Amino acid sequence: MLDKILNSKIWATLFKGYGFLFLGFLYLPLGLIFVYSFNANSINMAIWTEFTFDWYLTIFGGASSQSSFDAAFTESPDRIFEVVKHSVIVALSASTVSTVIGTATAIALARYHFVGKRFYQALLVLPMIVPDIVLGIALLIFFVGAGFKLSLLTIIIGHTTFLSSYVFVVVSARLAGMDTSLEQASADLGAGPITTFRRVTLPQIMPGVVGGFLLAFIISLDDVVITYFIAGVGSQTLPLFILAMMRRGLRPQINALAVLLLLFTFVIAAIGLYLRSRKS
Amino acid sequence: MTSSDTILKRKRRSLILLLAPFTVMLSVFFLVPLGIMMVYSFLEPGLYGGVEWNWYPYNYGRIIGWPLNDYEEFEPIYLKIFLNSLQIAIMTVIGTFVICYPAAFWVSRMQGAKKNLALFMITLPFFANLLVRIYAWLLLLRPTGFFNTVLQSAGLIIEPLDLLFTNFSVIIGMVYILTPFMFLPIYANVEKLDYSMVRASQDLGANPLQTFRRVILPLTAPGIIGGSVIVFIPALGNFIVPSFLGGSKVQMTGNLIERSFLQSRDWPFGAALALLIMASVVVLVVFQLSRQAKAEARGVS
Repeated sequence: MLDKILNSKIWATLFKGYGFLFLGFLYLPLGLIFVYSFNANSINMAIWTEFTFDWYLTIFGGASSQSSFDAAFTESPDRIFEVVKHSVIVALSASTVSTVIGTATAIALARYHFVGKRFYQALLVLPMIVPDIVLGIALLIFFVGAGFKLSLLTIIIGHTTFLSSYVFVVVSARLAGMDTSLEQASADLGAGPITTFRRVTLPQIMPGVVGGFLLAFIISLDDVVITYFIAGVGSQTLPLFILAMMRRGLRPQINALAVLLLLFTFVIAAIGLYLRSRKS
Repeated sequence: MTSSDTILKRKRRSLILLLAPFTVMLSVFFLVPLGIMMVYSFLEPGLYGGVEWNWYPYNYGRIIGWPLNDYEEFEPIYLKIFLNSLQIAIMTVIGTFVICYPAAFWVSRMQGAKKNLALFMITLPFFANLLVRIYAWLLLLRPTGFFNTVLQSAGLIIEPLDLLFTNFSVIIGMVYILTPFMFLPIYANVEKLDYSMVRASQDLGANPLQTFRRVILPLTAPGIIGGSVIVFIPALGNFIVPSFLGGSKVQMTGNLIERSFLQSRDWPFGAALALLIMASVVVLVVFQLSRQAKAEARGVS
């Protein structure tokens, strides 16, 4: 009876309708920012006046045709370029290092047996479970106590620590579905462990490694909470810059900046998700 | 030395080489900082920030409202804020569950490319910047925001409604940012749902409601519980959502931690609050792991 009900036309339509509501809930708020980012009305963004590119131009230092009141809120383009540069440096370094570390660890756990392996495995995913705020302040106390100057380096170290766990999980998933007979064949044919790794293992797990790298890159680029606690005066990143902008009041420039950031992360995420879903 | 000995030695050496970087990093930049934080929570706050190395249990005393001296009264304000945080986190779990459960059935009944597209669409917002997603709800809920403007121009209200700075607005923001965390575990379970069990229950005369309550719900429970745990954890410690959508009216423990570190510079008290969050998380994770282990043991026997 239930099966029939679930397969009936009414239920199928209801489910479909609900599905679109669900997707609407996920995307309409983001779509709203997109529409607002082209609205010339800076007094009330919810009322459409006319189409403009001004907000995109002003965040890169372009002159606004709008009132001088808006110009006063315009950030100098040098600031934007500086914080974007910081974010890219942090994200690239942290995701590169964590990809190497996470991959090495995933291979070790997939190919070797040792005492306490399960405990070690649980320890490795711990940084993903600990709430961001706890990790952030623990690192802040540690860095200040150990005499580190808060800078881009402390952010990179902080990010690398928890991103390695993410890469480890992604690469491990790839290794779990892998055929080990090729590695054995390579060893039987006289290839050393390094040659086997480079010529046999690495090409097979490559989609997982690249997927893990991209995931780490986006998480680092987007991270607010941990960075918030361990960034120094001269090491503001793009999310912290947006946070500071939001605290000063909602200006149309935030819409434009948000849209650019969304587009950039969605493209990278789409590539990463595609690579992860692809079969070998 | 035999050759098998050298192979064994070489194997052990490469294992150590592979594991060394993560082990060192995890110890120095994760376990040690957490340990130091724990120690800090028992130290006396310094007059101008920092700590005095004296045993000082009053950081925890303050949380439960214990007066430090004759000038203070018993005032469990921090405990109230923690309870409110628990309440918001639980409401967030319920909210994400109600939204995601039917959606998981919707996707699980799709086929091929359509299903992949739906999964992709649902996963993608997870990668949108946290601040941008909260910002979207500020635009929707504030007095001159989307909802109020639409309602006003439709003539339904005269004065804008107070949609922001309530427990409700904080919960909406949390549900919005944490939906993918609830959806994926539930979906993984619903996808595997054995419909022959559903049919069997009906053949044996159960009505749809009974079938749902006695068969479908228990079979998908692991996904629901898993999703609830990973939604609850980030919701409990969150301070970004309440600081924008809750304003000064809705305080969560995360806001208190942030303030004791960056404004009042009372680090030991902040550390004690962070440990309170951490303890709740540990309790939850241990509960979830032991439940999983039990389920696995039952599966084997």
